[in-house]
Amino acid sequence: MNDQDELAHRLTLLQGVEFSPADLEAIGHEIVDNLRVVAELEEFAKDTAWISHQAQPAGKRA
Amino acid sequence: MADATILENNLTDLSWLIAARKVSALEALEAVLGRVRALDDKLNAFITLCEDEARADAKRADQEIAAGNYRGPLHGIPVSIKDLFETAGVLTTGGSKIFKDWRPERDSALAEKLRAAGAVIFGKTNLDEFGHGGTSTLSHYGPVHNPWNLERIAGGSSGGSAAAVAARIGPLSYGTETGSSVRRPASYCGVVGFKPTFGIISRHGSFRGAWSQDHAGVFARTVKDIALALDPVAGYDARDPASVQQSAPAYAERLNENVKGLRVGVLRKFLDGVDPAVREAFLAALKVFTDAGCKIVDIDVPELSYAAMTSALTSSAESAGINRIWFRQHAHDYVPHVARGIAVGMAITASEYLTAQRARHRIREAVKAAYENLEIIAAPTTARVAPPLANGVQGNGDDSRHVSYNQSNLLRFPSMLGLPGCSLPIGLNPDGLPIGMQLIGASFADQTVLNAAAAFQSATDWHNRKPALVG
Repeated sequence: MNDQDELAHRLTLLQGVEFSPADLEAIGHEIVDNLRVVAELEEFAKDTAWISHQAQPAGKRA
Repeated sequence: MADATILENNLTDLSWLIAARKVSALEALEAVLGRVRALDDKLNAFITLCEDEARADAKRADQEIAAGNYRGPLHGIPVSIKDLFETAGVLTTGGSKIFKDWRPERDSALAEKLRAAGAVIFGKTNLDEFGHGGTSTLSHYGPVHNPWNLERIAGGSSGGSAAAVAARIGPLSYGTETGSSVRRPASYCGVVGFKPTFGIISRHGSFRGAWSQDHAGVFARTVKDIALALDPVAGYDARDPASVQQSAPAYAERLNENVKGLRVGVLRKFLDGVDPAVREAFLAALKVFTDAGCKIVDIDVPELSYAAMTSALTSSAESAGINRIWFRQHAHDYVPHVARGIAVGMAITASEYLTAQRARHRIREAVKAAYENLEIIAAPTTARVAPPLANGVQGNGDDSRHVSYNQSNLLRFPSMLGLPGCSLPIGLNPDGLPIGMQLIGASFADQTVLNAAAAFQSATDWHNRKPALVG
């Protein structure tokens, strides 16, 4: 998916809420910036365990 | 006692005066309401005043105290709360047009506990809409102005609470923090702002910003006041899934200014981009800790350079989850900047949110390891003093969403990780604007944070400075 298609796909997630062209442009910039943030965080966190929570037996610390 | 004299008393002193019946709760309330009338046209710190209800509560408090039924340090004290907290029968807007006429049937847990302690809730403070912002310029009810300079922002999102305490409109106010919404406005307004460990104060009955980062917090002029204000509102509440099982709160009783041997960590790399006046004040503050027998420890936690972007992605996605139904129905009733932010959050996918949580976990583990060798992390609360109001939401120029040693990482990691944090005044810049320092502890080291902050205040008098506006 190219960048334009990716952005168009993301904007469908707004579920029909309409914005002015200027607002849509600002929102689009933020969405693109988030894609950059996610890519950096993926690299940063790639060796980190997936988070899950388990209750511990009585008297044992989580 | 003259109104101006009553208003000069901090919580500790006013509490004593009311308990000793040297000042009545009604006198204290009328003094506060008079100050609101005199200043709030300039500050815009309040959305709603509940004068009639407060007068009835004050009279009741006076009768109870006269009858020997004193409930404790908040009994008869005029208190304000951020307009995110529900108050039965009293307008609760969240700073939004959407709730401009909403009068909840129930009290929030915070309001319940304050009433049980005998506090007199007199007003609801202004904020960024639903807590989405760091400036208090994003309210449907207009921006909050900083009492130290009316052309500056108060910081947000709890700007009304911070401005009220700075302007001596009551000795304390309660707010909330999702990213930095207690510590930042406290720093900009020259007051003490404390947010405890995640789950210490129930959030039941309050609008949510981002559920995994939302905290309730408190503003006052002294750390002792903070401890007195924290005790009655802390405690387990089954209605808040994040609430923590805890023993009876006794932060005030356990306050101890002897911090000899305390290890204070300093992240030097994050000081590079800090304004020179802020940096100078911070280094002077560290000297106060050294003189008190603390050990200053230089530390480096490189993972923290990812904190602001991780926190921002997390809160953006969660706020979209919280707002999505209202947003579909009322998108154009939101403050435009907030609406755009929620739209951006709605475009974050589940897998991207989970990536942020994985990053958050890595940062948490790194910070936990750092606390094995120290008790407190100290840093300037913000890299700069309160920015001009004219700069609007762009005013908080130290906010960053890039991997960097930017100060905004240090502002955001405590809420993201649920750690206790206190901002307290440590100086004024050449323009007379307040500078703040934040002290951050490990999870549940709330008492240690308060002790360190109290030790600093016992050796300095920055907390006694006040804006020219209040004379």
